[in-house]
Amino acid sequence: MTNRRDFLWQSGGGLGGIALSSLLGGEAQGGGFLQEAHHRPKAKRVIQLFMAGAASHLDLFDYKPELVKRHGEKSDFGEHVEAFQNGLGPWKKPVWDFAPHGACGKLLGETVSPLGEVVNDMAFIHNMTGKTGVHSQATYLQATGFDRPGFPGMGSWVSYGLGSLNDNLPTFVVLPDHRGYASNGPKNWASAFLPTVHQGTIIRPGTSEPITHLFPHESAKYLTPQAEKDAGSLLGKLNRKYAEQRSGDSRLEARIQSYELAARMQLAAPEALDLSGEPDYIKSMYGLSSDGKKWPKEINWKEEADAFGRKCLSARRLLERGVKFVQIWSGNDNGFPRRNWDSHEDIEREHGPLSRGMAIGTAALIKDLKQRGMLEDTVILWTTEFGRMPSTQGSKGRDHNPHVFTNWLAGGGVRGGVTHGESDEWGYKPADRKNPTQVYDIHATILHLLGIDHEKLVFRKDSIDRRLTDVHGKVIQEILA
Amino acid sequence: MRFAFVLLMTLIGLNGQEVWWSMQPLERPEVPSGAEKVIVDRFIRAKQKQLGLTSSGAAEKRVLARRLAFDLWGMPLSPKRMDTFVQDERPEAYRELVDELLASPRYGERWARHWLDVVHFGETHGYDKDQPRNHAWPYRDYVIRAFNEDKPYAEFVREQIAGDRLLPHRRDGIEATGFLAAGPWDLIGHAEVPESKIDGKVARHLDRDDMVTAVMTTFCSFTVQCAQCHDHKADPVTMKDYYSLQSIFAALDRSDREYDLDPAVVDKRANLVAQISAKQSKLTKVRADIDVAKTPELKKLEKLVTGSEDKRSDRYGYHSQVSAQQDTVKWVQVDLGSSLPLGKVEIFTADEYGFPDFGFPHRFRVEISDDEEFVTKSILADQTEADFSRPGAGPIVIKGQGKKARFVRIVATKLWSRRHKGGPLSNDWIFALSEVKVISNGKSLIPKKVEALDSIQAMPRWGRANLIDGKTGTGVLKIDPKEKERYDHLLQKHAGSLLKKEKQFADEVKELERKVSALPKPKRVYVAKVHHGNGNFMGRGHVNGKPREIRILNRGDVTSPLDVVGPAPVPGIVEGVNSFDLPANHLEGDRRVALANWVVHPKNKLTWRSIVNRVWQQHFGVGLVETANDFGRIGEKPINPELLDWLAVEFRDGGGSLKKLHRMILLSETYRQKSSGRPENASVDGSNRFLWRQNRRRLEAEVVRDTVLMVAGKMNLKMGGPSFQDFIIEKPQHSPHYQYHKADPDDPATHRRAIYRFLVRSQPQPFMDALDCADPSLLVDKRSETTTSLQALAMLNNRFILRMAEHVAVDLKGKDDPVGELIARSLGRPVRPEERGLLEGYASSHGMAALVRLVFNMSEFSYVD
Repeated sequence: MTNRRDFLWQSGGGLGGIALSSLLGGEAQGGGFLQEAHHRPKAKRVIQLFMAGAASHLDLFDYKPELVKRHGEKSDFGEHVEAFQNGLGPWKKPVWDFAPHGACGKLLGETVSPLGEVVNDMAFIHNMTGKTGVHSQATYLQATGFDRPGFPGMGSWVSYGLGSLNDNLPTFVVLPDHRGYASNGPKNWASAFLPTVHQGTIIRPGTSEPITHLFPHESAKYLTPQAEKDAGSLLGKLNRKYAEQRSGDSRLEARIQSYELAARMQLAAPEALDLSGEPDYIKSMYGLSSDGKKWPKEINWKEEADAFGRKCLSARRLLERGVKFVQIWSGNDNGFPRRNWDSHEDIEREHGPLSRGMAIGTAALIKDLKQRGMLEDTVILWTTEFGRMPSTQGSKGRDHNPHVFTNWLAGGGVRGGVTHGESDEWGYKPADRKNPTQVYDIHATILHLLGIDHEKLVFRKDSIDRRLTDVHGKVIQEILA
Repeated sequence: MRFAFVLLMTLIGLNGQEVWWSMQPLERPEVPSGAEKVIVDRFIRAKQKQLGLTSSGAAEKRVLARRLAFDLWGMPLSPKRMDTFVQDERPEAYRELVDELLASPRYGERWARHWLDVVHFGETHGYDKDQPRNHAWPYRDYVIRAFNEDKPYAEFVREQIAGDRLLPHRRDGIEATGFLAAGPWDLIGHAEVPESKIDGKVARHLDRDDMVTAVMTTFCSFTVQCAQCHDHKADPVTMKDYYSLQSIFAALDRSDREYDLDPAVVDKRANLVAQISAKQSKLTKVRADIDVAKTPELKKLEKLVTGSEDKRSDRYGYHSQVSAQQDTVKWVQVDLGSSLPLGKVEIFTADEYGFPDFGFPHRFRVEISDDEEFVTKSILADQTEADFSRPGAGPIVIKGQGKKARFVRIVATKLWSRRHKGGPLSNDWIFALSEVKVISNGKSLIPKKVEALDSIQAMPRWGRANLIDGKTGTGVLKIDPKEKERYDHLLQKHAGSLLKKEKQFADEVKELERKVSALPKPKRVYVAKVHHGNGNFMGRGHVNGKPREIRILNRGDVTSPLDVVGPAPVPGIVEGVNSFDLPANHLEGDRRVALANWVVHPKNKLTWRSIVNRVWQQHFGVGLVETANDFGRIGEKPINPELLDWLAVEFRDGGGSLKKLHRMILLSETYRQKSSGRPENASVDGSNRFLWRQNRRRLEAEVVRDTVLMVAGKMNLKMGGPSFQDFIIEKPQHSPHYQYHKADPDDPATHRRAIYRFLVRSQPQPFMDALDCADPSLLVDKRSETTTSLQALAMLNNRFILRMAEHVAVDLKGKDDPVGELIARSLGRPVRPEERGLLEGYASSHGMAALVRLVFNMSEFSYVD
């Protein structure tokens, strides 16, 4: 078989095994579920930036003059409010001053001002609403479209729908926060009922094993490069013989190819993740500090910029080499001391460094993609599991607010410099409560930009034709270019 | 929450013209005539004849034995046993091998794994934090036992749904109900949010949905969960039917249940608990009587001698959150602001509920560190091996041993039962202190900051900050001896006889409690049950297990409740049984018994077909019905409905013996066929749905791992007990990090069968995950089978594989024919002349370990003909 198609699966779901031939037939589109795009795609790639712990819309992107005016006054929502903890203290103004940026004049909190340079490319949605203030369910909802375990992440759906651009690298790559996983861990990017090949592959740039199992563990001293080389050819020979004696079983041929591909990935992945050849001005634009630097113990923006910037720069390199979907996480679990966006105690303490670091890396990524001509067909989504309350928790923190939060998109097919959907005067709920934006709409829009009709990308599981968007979702026309 | 549906062509039949196959009554079909001795073959051949298919001949003995061993054991036969079988030319040799394998405990271990896939058994909660469930494993052992003992299927089903009610004092009855709790559970949605809030309601709705879905999918292959938001679009299930099923589980929550294995202890404990409860009521009554007997003067004096609430407010301090288990680890730490020489650490106890040492743990240690997270630390005092005697009003003074530190942490490892003086022990385990002071350079310091794993913030009484408010709570209350004397006198005068009674009852309670604590420690299993909780996670224990009211939810939305529904089965599945006739005063468990009886009713159209199909699937790689979890209209039709029904009836009427069912299938010629041959059939039935040959199957993740251990001679066949953990847990206090890459592949504790592996939901084991092991959050009827480059990398480079290859090499050293032995162990056959040279050549260039690793990566190693 001369075909480069190397992944084979037998569907565990109701579609009945997808035959190898149909996979191979899909080569032009990289072997995805869709034979052809539903309409002309605007974008080929996606970057999803996920702020774990729930980033405050009020302090970063969604300016509320009422809060500045009423700061310190007893909060009054005019209705009964169920706080997750007890964060119904006085109104709290944004921690940072807001100033206009770009030709569009969008107001940004000072802490994310590095994004000002690219704000003309960004489309804000301030009336996002969720279902729950429980981190786990809310993270699942934003990541998979369902509020419980058992559903594929958006990247898995994209991989399933469109297949791969480069078989030497995984199609869906996840760069987790280097300190640990967010709520739900790897289940946020699991393939669930979709074939495992669509699962997000964790990549840890800058570590000795950036992809699990990429190389033999260093303790296996008996494996020399020559032993590896000889093993490859002998194994190929034995396995080919086994397959020949069992003609008609395409799985055996696919297995041989999977070993050939594995060998190619061993070359491709380290090259893709090697930042040493990047010029200094690029590294510094992404906020990378000199290597081997020892960071202070307290959370600080330079360290955050370095960590987030490395992920952004790695993401660009992966996209250049054909990876289709990169998910970057900022923030880990609710350990101690806090290293995520769940600032119940003190917004300034964590949101300050985390948001500054995020803004530097993200602004660099957008600029860099643009100068390489890649921004026009790469969609970027910035998201989080929910927002935070306009009232104070403790003296400096904010409680969960599942009722309203902010997303923004940029890049391929997205109209820049616009704001769609407002929150109310406090940033407590959508201004128009009957017409909020939901994750389904975001997912539908991203699939739309990729040339996919979200209602037609389906997989049958236990009697149900599952979709990323469940039975909801409408493309947000207002932010399309 | 609505689901997307597809309407299939078959829907045309919904209007009553055609009855869907699974809704037809289960009746014994006529057996086709034919010469075949085994009935299964007659059904199969009859279909093949219609289609012009011819079956393939019998597989070679070696191939057959390897297939059989993986099917029944999930492990290869030893080369010796393989050879005996191959050489044994008696016709009964095969039947004997089947019996031998079925009789081995390895059989139960293999088949329990299939069952645990279907019921989504996991050992962490999943969702946020993904905390471990350390007592889920007894259910896993129950399943293994049930398979090995060939427990009649109806009993197996009934116990899993309602064993606690059916066999309340028997091990199987209790452990089986781990089934209902096997799936994921949202700890935060239950423990941090009360049921009165929307988030709490959603969590509990999802919890019941998980139980309903698990029961109906596992036992009936029926997708009722589709009717959560609207009536089922394809199958005869309405929203009312769905919510009626929810109401069967409406009293349940998930938590650990304590139980005894020895029936004598069960009785003794029940008896003692009943006596304690009776005495407690008497005690409560007499205390009330004493209160009534108190004159106004006595009441006034009482306030003076015992201190009023407001006077005592500054005597409180830090109080942890309540735990349901005494061995939960809690900690609180103080920050001195900078690293200082430690002269002494003084720990002051809290005075509350009549105890001078309220909340002080029975076991604890004191740690110091310069680092807030205590990554590096030293221990100042360790009282974790034995109980610390009650300190009374304290303080507990720990010497600084000349050490320097910035942080001092007190870690409680055995908590104190929160109760009033004289009251019985409660299940609310806590850790509380009044004050922590540090003496440095002869000066008493008040620390700057307090951090704790968790705490109750109930100011002004309890709060972290109170631990360093400078108020130690001792010696505040001064009692006038004269007032005390007068108080005692009056109390004797007005309630003397009552006081005597009170003391008598209290002593009796104490004595009974002593007897309880002298009984053997009860076992613990994670199950669904009526939960006696506290705080946000109350459960229904406080209302004696009264089920929650269940309403139909408009579009599945907890904020849009419609009509109330009661427990009922789905109509039309068991002819004549469309309701449960439960008396008005029934217990919650009776609802589950009624459901269990309905599931195993001989006339249930789904149950018997469902299980025989699941077993068939494991012997052929695909079921007679391809969608084993869905017999509804959106699922597939059976390829041979007569055979399915014949097997179901035989199985049902033959006592529900799975081992008999295996024999019916395994002794057939259909099962014993070659896996390749007769290419001429491919044009008619390319996917082999009509079984004109056996299907070549790939070994599952667990089987690969077990086989590697067997080949390496490292397998420890110890059965049962707590699961082994092939990871290191870091940061267990909040969200445990399950670090697989830090585990030692040589740890002998992990060299057991994969069924005993600890199953983490959020972070799957990377090697098993690459090999398509089941996701414990999904009801997996059939493993997906993918072939990816990441899988190839896992087989090549995983540390376990690499290390085991070395062990095999060591084990083969000095053997006459190491390569021959390696192939025999790994592939179940002699080494072939044409491959010997290649293999030996590779071994001599690169070493035997490298060759073993190569053999593990041969397709033949992972596939079974």
